[in-house]
Amino acid sequence: MDWLLNNAIVQDIIELARPSLFNLYFALASIPIGFPLAVLLAVMKNSSNSIISRVARTYIYAFRGSPLFIQFFMFYSIMLAFNLSHWKPMGIADIVMHPLFIGPMVLILNTSAYAAEIFYGALKTLPKGEMEAASAFGMNRWQVFKTVTWPNMIRLAWPAYTNEVVFLFHATALVYFTLPVINGQKDLMNKAGEMFERDYNIFLHFSVAGLYFLTISMVIFFVSGRIYKRLMRHMDTGEAASFKLKPNYMR
Amino acid sequence: MLETLSIWLAANFGEQTATWFEYFTNGKHLAWYASVRFTLIAAFFGALLAVLFGVLGAAARRSGFAPLRWLGLGYTTMVRGIPDVLFFLFFPLAFEQLVEFVMSRRLCSAEELATAVAWPPCQAAQWYLTTSEYLIMACVSLGIVYGAFAANVVHGAMNSVPKGQLEAARAYGFNNRQIFWNFQVRQMWVYALPGLSNVWMLLLKATSFLSLLQIADIVQWADRLGAPNYLARVGMVHPDWRWKYYFVLFLFYILLTVISERVFDWLQRRAGRGLALHGEQ
Repeated sequence: MDWLLNNAIVQDIIELARPSLFNLYFALASIPIGFPLAVLLAVMKNSSNSIISRVARTYIYAFRGSPLFIQFFMFYSIMLAFNLSHWKPMGIADIVMHPLFIGPMVLILNTSAYAAEIFYGALKTLPKGEMEAASAFGMNRWQVFKTVTWPNMIRLAWPAYTNEVVFLFHATALVYFTLPVINGQKDLMNKAGEMFERDYNIFLHFSVAGLYFLTISMVIFFVSGRIYKRLMRHMDTGEAASFKLKPNYMR
Repeated sequence: MLETLSIWLAANFGEQTATWFEYFTNGKHLAWYASVRFTLIAAFFGALLAVLFGVLGAAARRSGFAPLRWLGLGYTTMVRGIPDVLFFLFFPLAFEQLVEFVMSRRLCSAEELATAVAWPPCQAAQWYLTTSEYLIMACVSLGIVYGAFAANVVHGAMNSVPKGQLEAARAYGFNNRQIFWNFQVRQMWVYALPGLSNVWMLLLKATSFLSLLQIADIVQWADRLGAPNYLARVGMVHPDWRWKYYFVLFLFYILLTVISERVFDWLQRRAGRGLALHGEQ
């Protein structure tokens, strides 16, 4: 047992276990808000009202067209600029200036733009006949959305959305490059960097950090594949069986 | 020249305009504008290398020699599970260490090598990197990481080249190597272009990481310029303006994206001339 624990790789895996939870936290905290926001933005972009459509279009373009790295710096410095005048007097400075708050906040803004573009693409390829059929049945717009638009959109967008979730998870590596570390709450990259400065063994520490990212990414692909199978269970297209861990790598 | 312009502005547009003009043309700001070159160099050469690595990676993936095929597959798969920023930091640091390792074998005494606890084992083996060396490494790093993305695109595009073209080439007596380079690679660009435009956008955004490699790029200058200044003799007194400078960078990158989109649209139209592409016409 001792030889196992004294193994350098095993020691690294143990040491990086807690930091990996921070990456997981950033991703998990962003998805529950980012997902509905993305659906909303996609519906807005698809809206026939030109003002609503333009607002969503601009938002999506801006956040997809600029680096997340810059977005982190920008929003952190905006929050800092408001700190003395607003957050401190309101007594919420400790919460809203915390990386555990700002990190998910920026990630939500970013991922909702990327995911909205995916959902928008799905909305554009919805089967027209089904929607017309629903309208012909006398359904109102909300009912059409609930029974036709929504389920079809999710099914069409799911593989690409999975890809986006993995990219979001990878993007969590940027949080502590831009925000201050508080109470030694370090994420994988940060901790790996610290361990590198200790003994200069970049191959070991970065590989183990990479291994954590790889493993969690694979888990995301696996879980999402199971969900996709369930979403497609009534479809006799063979599509569900052919969904492999083969995303298109593109964000 | 800038001074005369400033005096002219003060005379014609008032003191206020001249003050702002002087502020935006002071040494630090000029250095900021000049540092855009790092971003553009990294994007341009990174993209060139990415295309090169992309074609090589895709070629390796369809090689007849199994180990080479596995290497290609490993290379193209690595971007799937690991963040780009990790590779971006890893390659330069690993290369630096490798060079220092070789140098330490040659320059350090046996005693130093045996007892050293820090890295490098002796001072003589320390490699002090300059900005240009870091920039070269950043380009190579971007090339390797986004080359893996490009390899996936190129691999898919090669499969889109009509089989008839390749069979015709074979019937004319071209050998495998000629068929691959002169027909498949020649013709795949038009199919690869939309995917490559996507890779370019990713790479462009990744050029914001240059400051992680100690390069004084636009991000680092924005941070320095926006930092609050309370000393009148250092320059204009202002509170924390960093968010304004980062907002400019935010707009700058969006502008680059708009320009890139235009250029790729034009390229796509040009490359598709005379081809009956699926989905067009």
